[in-house]
Amino acid sequence: MTINDIRDMFPALGQQVYSRPLVYFDNAATSQRLENAVRRLDGLALGANANIHRAVHKLASDATEEYESTRDAVRDFLNAESREEILFTSGTTASINLVAYSFGETFINEGDEIIVSEEEHHSNIVPWQLLCERKKAVLKVIGIDDEGHLKIDELKTLLTSRTKLVAVTQVSNVLGIVNPVKQIVNLCHSMNCPVLVDGAQGIVHVGVDVRDLDCDFYAFSGHKLYAATGTGVLYGKKKWLEKMVPFMGGGEMIGSVKFTGTTYAPLPGKFEAGTQNINAVPTLKDSISFLSMINKDDELQRELRSVDEYMYSSLSQIKGENEVRLFGVPRGTERKIPLYSFVVQGAHHEDLALILDKMGIAVRSGQMCAEPLMDRFGVTGMVRVSLAPYNTMAEAEYFIKSLGKAVSMLA
Amino acid sequence: MKTLEEAKQAVIDDFSMYDEWLDKYEYLIDLGKNLEEYPEDQKTEDKLIKGCQSRVWLDSKVEDGRLFFKADSDAIITKGIISLLISVYSGRNPKEIAEDDFGFIGEIGLKENLSPTRANGLVSMIERIKELARESVGHEPQGEVLTAEDAKELAPLYDNVIMAIKQVYDPEIPVNVYDLGLIYELVINKKHEVFIKMTFTAPTCPMADEVLAEVKKSVADVPGITGCEVELTFEPPWDQSMLSEEARIELGMD
Repeated sequence: MTINDIRDMFPALGQQVYSRPLVYFDNAATSQRLENAVRRLDGLALGANANIHRAVHKLASDATEEYESTRDAVRDFLNAESREEILFTSGTTASINLVAYSFGETFINEGDEIIVSEEEHHSNIVPWQLLCERKKAVLKVIGIDDEGHLKIDELKTLLTSRTKLVAVTQVSNVLGIVNPVKQIVNLCHSMNCPVLVDGAQGIVHVGVDVRDLDCDFYAFSGHKLYAATGTGVLYGKKKWLEKMVPFMGGGEMIGSVKFTGTTYAPLPGKFEAGTQNINAVPTLKDSISFLSMINKDDELQRELRSVDEYMYSSLSQIKGENEVRLFGVPRGTERKIPLYSFVVQGAHHEDLALILDKMGIAVRSGQMCAEPLMDRFGVTGMVRVSLAPYNTMAEAEYFIKSLGKAVSMLA
Repeated sequence: MKTLEEAKQAVIDDFSMYDEWLDKYEYLIDLGKNLEEYPEDQKTEDKLIKGCQSRVWLDSKVEDGRLFFKADSDAIITKGIISLLISVYSGRNPKEIAEDDFGFIGEIGLKENLSPTRANGLVSMIERIKELARESVGHEPQGEVLTAEDAKELAPLYDNVIMAIKQVYDPEIPVNVYDLGLIYELVINKKHEVFIKMTFTAPTCPMADEVLAEVKKSVADVPGITGCEVELTFEPPWDQSMLSEEARIELGMD
C-alpha cells in the first residue's frame, strides 16, 4: 500500500483552498476523517438512531450493539483487562477532568501532592490546578531540559509519600518526543503512586498496551485519530474506577434512585451519565481497523519514514540569518513522532502561518495550548507542522520550498 | 495633507492593484517594514493593545489639536496593518477619527482574509485608535499657546479649582478625591473652561456617577470658570502610591 492509497480514504484531502491543493499539516490538532467513519456516523444518524441500553425495540438494540461493540474493540486495541475499564467521554480533556474530579473527590486531601510536567497541554494542567484549589492540595512540576526531555531525576526527588497522582503526557503536542512513560510508571509505582498518561498524541503514532505499561489511567481523543469529533476514551484500572465517586449524575449511571438515596450502576455505566455520543462513538472502530491495517504494512511504513526523515533533516539544515530552531530534539534511539515545532529567526510564527495558509498549507502557530512550555523556551509562540499517514513526500517538498519563500518575504 | 476620504481611497486603490492575497500581504509587509521606528522604552504594558495574538503597541500624542500615532508589532503583517491604519488616521482631528466608521477596511476585504484571531486583533486596533481619539477630544486646549500673561491670569484659577475639587470626598475613604490622587489631569484653557481626567480607586465603584457629577458641579461653581468637563479613565489603574502626603497622614499610613 502507498500513501496515495491512504489519501483515497480521506475525501477532505482532495479539496482546494485559495485555488491551490490543500496541504493539511495540522494533524496534531485535528486529523481529517476517514470516509468509513463519516459513513458510519451518517448511517447511524439516519438509520439506527435510538438511545442505547434503555428500550427493547429493534433500533435501540442495533444502536446499543454498535456502541458496546466499540467498547470491546477499544479494550482489545489498548489490551485492557476488561471492558469495564473502558469509558467513553467527549475527548481527552473530558477524560482527564473526569479523573481530576472523581479520583480527586475520593482520594485527595489537604496537603496531598499531584505532579505534572512542564510540557503538558493545558488540558493536563488546569484540571489539576482546579482540583488543588478545591482540596488545598499542592501541584508540583517536573522540568524539562533544553532539548525537550523530561528530567526524570527531578521526578525522583519530587515523589514523596504525599504524592497521590502523577499525570504526564506520553508525547508532548509541541515537542513530539516519546516520553519514557514505562520508566515513570515503574518509578511511581515503587512509591505506591498511580499514574495518568495523556495519550492524545501518543495513541496516534505510538499506541499503547495498558497492561504492559501498567499505567492507572490513559486518556485519548477520537478526533485526532481520524474518527468523529466529540469522541474520547478514558481507560482506568478497575480497582480505581470502582472506588471513585461518579463524575456526573443522571440517567444510565444509576442502580436505583430513591429520594432516600441512590445507588450507582456498575462500571462502566457509573461514569457514563446521560445520553452518550451514540452516533459518533462507533466511528472509533473505523480508526482502530485503519490503524491496525497501516501498522502492519511495512511498505507504507517505509514510505512514511522517508517523508518524516526528509522533513526533519530539511528543517534542521536551515541555518544562517533565518535559522530554524527546532524544539524537541531526540537523542540516540529516542523516538519522535512526525511533528515539528520551530521558530524561524527574523520571522514571526503568526506571519509564517498566515502566508503558508495562502499557499494552501495548513499549519499551526501560537502557543499550542502549552503556555508554560513557551515560557520555558522564552518564545511567544511557535510554528507547528504535524503529519499524518496521508501526507506525501511531494507535500513535504512543497512545504519546505514554500517556507523558504515565506521567510524571504518576511525577512 | 489629504483629506480622510482621500487617504482611504488611496489605500483602496493600492489594494486593488493586487489580485492575489499573497501580493497584498507583500504590500502589507512592505508597509510594516517602512513604519517609523517606535522607541524600545515605550514598549510598555499600558501601550499594548489587548485582544491581539501578536503583540501590538500603540502610542499617541496631541499636537496643535491633531492626534498623532506611533505603533509597533513583533509580527510584520500585523505591523503592516497598524501602519496602514496610521497612514490614514495619524495627524487628524481627534473628533474626526472618533466619529469615523472605519468602513474602508471592509472595502479592501482585509478583515475577511485574516485568521479569526487576527481579525479580532484588527477590531481591537480600530477600537484602541477610536478610544485614544475620544480621550483626546477634550484635550485639544493642550495645543493652545499660552503667553506669560495668560499663565499669570490662569494661576489663581488653578488654585481655586483645586480647592473646589478638594471639597469632594471619596464615598468610602475619608479623604478628598484630590489628595487621594484620583485627578490625573487638570487643564484650564483661555476661555476658562476646565478639563479634568480622573479615576476611581476601583473600576467597580457604585457611586462613580455621583462623584463625577459632584466634581463637575463644584468646579463649575468656582467664580470665573465658564464650564467643566470631567472624563473617567482607568489608565493607569490607581494605586496607593498616588496618595498625597496629607492623605497618608489622614489615613495614618506614615
